[in-house]
Amino acid sequence: MRIACPHCGPRDVQEFSYLGDAKPQRPDGMDATEAAMADYVHQRDNPAGSHRELWYHGAGCHAWLVVTRDTRTHAIAAVETMAQARAGAPA
Amino acid sequence: MGEIGTTWTARGAWSGIVAPGVFSASGAGVNVQLREGLGIASLIASREQEPMLGRALESRLGLSLPTGPSAVSSASHTLVWAGAGQWLLVAASRAGVAEDCAGLAGLAAVALQSDGRAVLTLSGTMARKTLAKGCMVDLHPRAFPVGMTALTSIAYIGVQLWRSEDGPDGAVYQIMVPRSMAGSFWSWLCASGMEFGLVVATGQD
Amino acid sequence: MSASTQPFRRDDGGLIDRNRPLSFRFDDRAYQGFDGDTLASALLANGIRLVGRSFKYHRPRGILSAGAEEPNALVELRSGARREPNTRATVTELFEGLEALSQNRWPSLAFDLLSVNSLLGPALQAGFYYKTFMWPASFWEKLYEPLIRRAAGLGRAAGLEDPDHYEKAFAFCDVLVIGGGPAGIAAALAAGRSGARVILCDEDGRFGGRLLAERREIDGQPAAVWLSAALAELASLPDVTIMPRSTVFGVYDHGVYGVVERVSDHLAVPPPHQPRQRSWRITARRAVLAAGAIERPIVFAGNDTPGVMLAGAVRSYLNRFGVLPGREAVVFTAGDDGWTTARDLAAAGVRVAAVVDPRSGIDPALTGLAGRIGARIITGAVAAAAGGRALRAVTVREASGREESIACDLLAVSNGWNPTLHLTSHQNTRPVWDEAIHAFVPGTMPVGLSVAGSAAGRFSLAEALADGARLGREAAADIGFDSAAEPATPITDPEGVALSPVWRVKGGKGKAFVDFQNDVTDADIELAAREGFKPVEHLKRYTTLGMATDQGKTSNIAGLAIMAEQTGQTIPQTGTTIFRPPYTPVAIGALAGHHRGRDFRPTRMSPTHSWSQRQGAVFIEAGAWMRAQYYPRPGETDWLTSVNREVLAVRNGVGLCDVSTLGKIDIQGADAADFLERVYCNGFKALQVGKARYGLMLREDGFVMDDGTTSRLGETHFLMTTTTANAGKVMQHLEFCHQVLWPRLDVRMVSVSEHWAQAAIAGPKARAVLQGVVDAEHDISNEAFPYLAARAVTVGGGIPARLFRISFSGELAYELAVPAGYGEAMMDAVMAAGSAHGITPYGTEALGVMRIEKGHVAGNELSGQTTARDLGLGKMMSSKKDYLGRLMARREALVEAERPCLIGFRPVDPAQRLRAGAHFIGIGKPATMQHDEGYMTSVAYSPVLGHWIGLGLLKNGPQRIGERIRAVDPVREGDVEIEICSPVFVDPEGTRLHG
Repeated sequence: MRIACPHCGPRDVQEFSYLGDAKPQRPDGMDATEAAMADYVHQRDNPAGSHRELWYHGAGCHAWLVVTRDTRTHAIAAVETMAQARAGAPA
Repeated sequence: MGEIGTTWTARGAWSGIVAPGVFSASGAGVNVQLREGLGIASLIASREQEPMLGRALESRLGLSLPTGPSAVSSASHTLVWAGAGQWLLVAASRAGVAEDCAGLAGLAAVALQSDGRAVLTLSGTMARKTLAKGCMVDLHPRAFPVGMTALTSIAYIGVQLWRSEDGPDGAVYQIMVPRSMAGSFWSWLCASGMEFGLVVATGQD
Repeated sequence: MSASTQPFRRDDGGLIDRNRPLSFRFDDRAYQGFDGDTLASALLANGIRLVGRSFKYHRPRGILSAGAEEPNALVELRSGARREPNTRATVTELFEGLEALSQNRWPSLAFDLLSVNSLLGPALQAGFYYKTFMWPASFWEKLYEPLIRRAAGLGRAAGLEDPDHYEKAFAFCDVLVIGGGPAGIAAALAAGRSGARVILCDEDGRFGGRLLAERREIDGQPAAVWLSAALAELASLPDVTIMPRSTVFGVYDHGVYGVVERVSDHLAVPPPHQPRQRSWRITARRAVLAAGAIERPIVFAGNDTPGVMLAGAVRSYLNRFGVLPGREAVVFTAGDDGWTTARDLAAAGVRVAAVVDPRSGIDPALTGLAGRIGARIITGAVAAAAGGRALRAVTVREASGREESIACDLLAVSNGWNPTLHLTSHQNTRPVWDEAIHAFVPGTMPVGLSVAGSAAGRFSLAEALADGARLGREAAADIGFDSAAEPATPITDPEGVALSPVWRVKGGKGKAFVDFQNDVTDADIELAAREGFKPVEHLKRYTTLGMATDQGKTSNIAGLAIMAEQTGQTIPQTGTTIFRPPYTPVAIGALAGHHRGRDFRPTRMSPTHSWSQRQGAVFIEAGAWMRAQYYPRPGETDWLTSVNREVLAVRNGVGLCDVSTLGKIDIQGADAADFLERVYCNGFKALQVGKARYGLMLREDGFVMDDGTTSRLGETHFLMTTTTANAGKVMQHLEFCHQVLWPRLDVRMVSVSEHWAQAAIAGPKARAVLQGVVDAEHDISNEAFPYLAARAVTVGGGIPARLFRISFSGELAYELAVPAGYGEAMMDAVMAAGSAHGITPYGTEALGVMRIEKGHVAGNELSGQTTARDLGLGKMMSSKKDYLGRLMARREALVEAERPCLIGFRPVDPAQRLRAGAHFIGIGKPATMQHDEGYMTSVAYSPVLGHWIGLGLLKNGPQRIGERIRAVDPVREGDVEIEICSPVFVDPEGTRLHG
């Protein structure tokens, strides 16, 4: 597998490590509820198809990336930096 | 106060690992220059600091801050992109870099790394073929021109690799590895380059 | 050199060099072959037909094919440590001094006692493992398995360390062409001419593919003329790389291809500094698969008799290797292709007794040929082959049912070809059945891969050349490399490809094999059908069809066809087989490359490593690091003596220990303190500049992740330390927290672990020693530099250093950090300054003893399954701020009273030894899970107390001090009565720390 790091260019998957679904947002702050936190920590979708997920370019530039990958084919539709991902989801 | 005659001598990163010499019975396809005594610092700028840091480096060293994976050099310094908003400042001397960094307070998070890296220069007609035995980045001249850098791993060792000006035998690569893994890196380099013949020297280029 | 020692060698012709004879040994007899031979061709040249015995029935087997698909001719190649089992003789290039042994025979190849298995046939039929050896289970290990291992199986591994070395390598190209036959060469030429970077791989040592085995013409000249011109042009193109002896064995996501290059397999021993094999990972933007096709056998009784050979292989031996595979031949063909073999046999002087072809309406050009070469044409089929160790005759059955026996020593079988489409299904694409050619062809291709020539089921040479040129050009053009005008496709001589396949001929006497390597017969498939194992995946597992080292290259289709016949379905309805990597077996050594033995993974050396070596340290692997474990002195014969001495030296005087391996992360920025507040469960905002604090980091799920001290070097500048084991993980975690969770915080971090050498100086005399090391202008008195002080100092007259007053041992202790290059100088300086105080180097073992004596947690306790509360650190969890893990640590299960918590233990009988891992069981209770109350995490012999001590996690531990319980360790037969006590065994008041 190859992942095109937006900073470094296309690299072998061996340089990256996988975390998981990029969607859950941490319920920050003292007001967060245990239920919301339990959801954030444990609840994950497991789609057959397009999946936005977090990868870490640990053997490269140390960037956390959002990779949009089809879980059935491994086809990668987009690789974004966190800043790009926050600016707006890809089409 | 150092007492009882202790002399505080710094030990080079390659010391005890590899010494100048010829490795292999025939050929000299790969030249290795061990680079000791360089001054190295990591600079990390916030988005707001980046333009100011750029101006400061431009005026002091005459080097413009690379915004992508490339390295720029003057006679005495090299600035290497080392990730988003991060650079390595490499100076010809260890003392020099401390001075350079003193002037950058407030413009970047500065951390000295001079002793944390083992650096070598790889050149020779078979340098690229040797690197291909561990480097997962395409080093074909079309894909990796002079001035390009890559943060990657070779033989499971994190490296910062960049291509400096070509030498008489073509491409010249600068390679920086963590000091603690210099021994394992040399073990790989030696095993990989032996078929072409490795000539190891020390000093500056 | 005359060919007289090789009775089956032709006088001329072929691509062997008769001026370069090579001697070799097979089963301890000497033979001679020529440069350019394979082991198989050299054996045939010497008249050796019987090469091995089969897996299950020990049937005599010969050479079926001339390529990578060979199921029968497997040998043990080379000897001693280089012995390699199951090597295919058909792809083993002959070299001077080659040694090979036949496999799976006892006591000898010709006389094999275990061929009695053949008579026990019914017992060994499909599913026999499942049926016969069901019970009792204990019989498996003691009786069945050794029996089966003796009776069945293939070659023997060397059992010695491989003396050769292997490499990995990475390559990149625009167009990868897989297969160096006519289609592949045409593709590489077309792509290469466009300026694209091209890699052309072939598993053979010589490029040309089937052209090497056939007597063909291109543009009116022998094909060799075209071939050499094409190869010369490829060699002249600077961005074209030609890789012989390189098998593309796997296709992976995003254009990544696995390739094994057999760099030195064609030599007796690799030349100096050359690897035996090299495994490549090739990343290609486009690829053209031109892997050719594999010929199919026909299933009939005795079809495994040595002398029965694929018709295309017969041509390879005749034309490429100049070998006569027999003297009296019969050709059994279901298509036009077999007639070419008859022609070539006759041309080589072999008598062709008959051409047996069940078809009617055969091209008169072919039947006319038979007349010219004096062969009978029999419309019918071969029903049986007889001869045992060498073919003597075949039984031919005409359409009328009339049978006759025809004497022959060679039967060439032709049943059409299967496209070598294995690589196309590695990305999960299923092949599809093409009724026109009676074969599976590649299904929908993954992006970037196209298939040319025979591999696409387009079997003629004209199609191969045209496909190759077109697809090579298209692949390059697709990524922006346009060629000039398309050159004309070469003209080839005519060839017939008509085919009406015969999957099996029933009714012959004897076993009829479908899968030669796994000894699966047609009867096995019928049995599987009767017993309901009809879907192809069941069929495969029940009969082991296609599961041998050849992965069914010659057997899968026949197996499907017979099952289809049993179930009344078509072949495509019956199923297909998805092929998985590797295409052919790949040595693990090649995949590991350089990374074995001490290079298995990178080893990290502390900047004080050679100092420790000079002190005589015994080292231990700690993750990737080599750490000094203890420093034995002359006369000390066991580790415990050394460690006890080191511990007492620290507790009573002063010791020195390398701690450079700890992770060190430099954290700066206006929000650095806020950031630490969020990643540690305890507070950091109030930490003063110049001070250090112990920090505990939780995972978001509430369990402890790591611990360490973090120092505030400036208002916005911190230095975090992590455990040695978790340094990388914590860095990744902090980057996550910053980049993903809280990007707005102004915080920047970088690892500085490698830049600093760090040493602990511990013991009541530590300050006195340090005062002799740190430059005099720095006041490190207890008042000026109290417990947890952390400041920049200088040493050696101005060398920048950092000093931290922190302690893991519980003694007055400091950690001194200097730039790594000065690591050894620091150790020498501290030793020199400490010599008057009796300073003693100590290693990780003494460090571990002292932390256990103080009840400090370390890796054994930070297991990923413990909470702060479990470790007695619950009070560290702040209630005033949000931090990672805060909410989840409150989960009911994590705060329940019964949860095992950290506590200390000592043996009731002080002479008894404790063992980490022992489980706590109440006195008088059975040692069962039901009564399990926790386990011992760490133990040490405390030289201060004079007995073993332990830390462990025990239900309600802190409330049970003084109670007695057992530490039960069934694995090591330990059952020790212990007393629960405080986890702090030494100096519980902490007075030493502040001394």
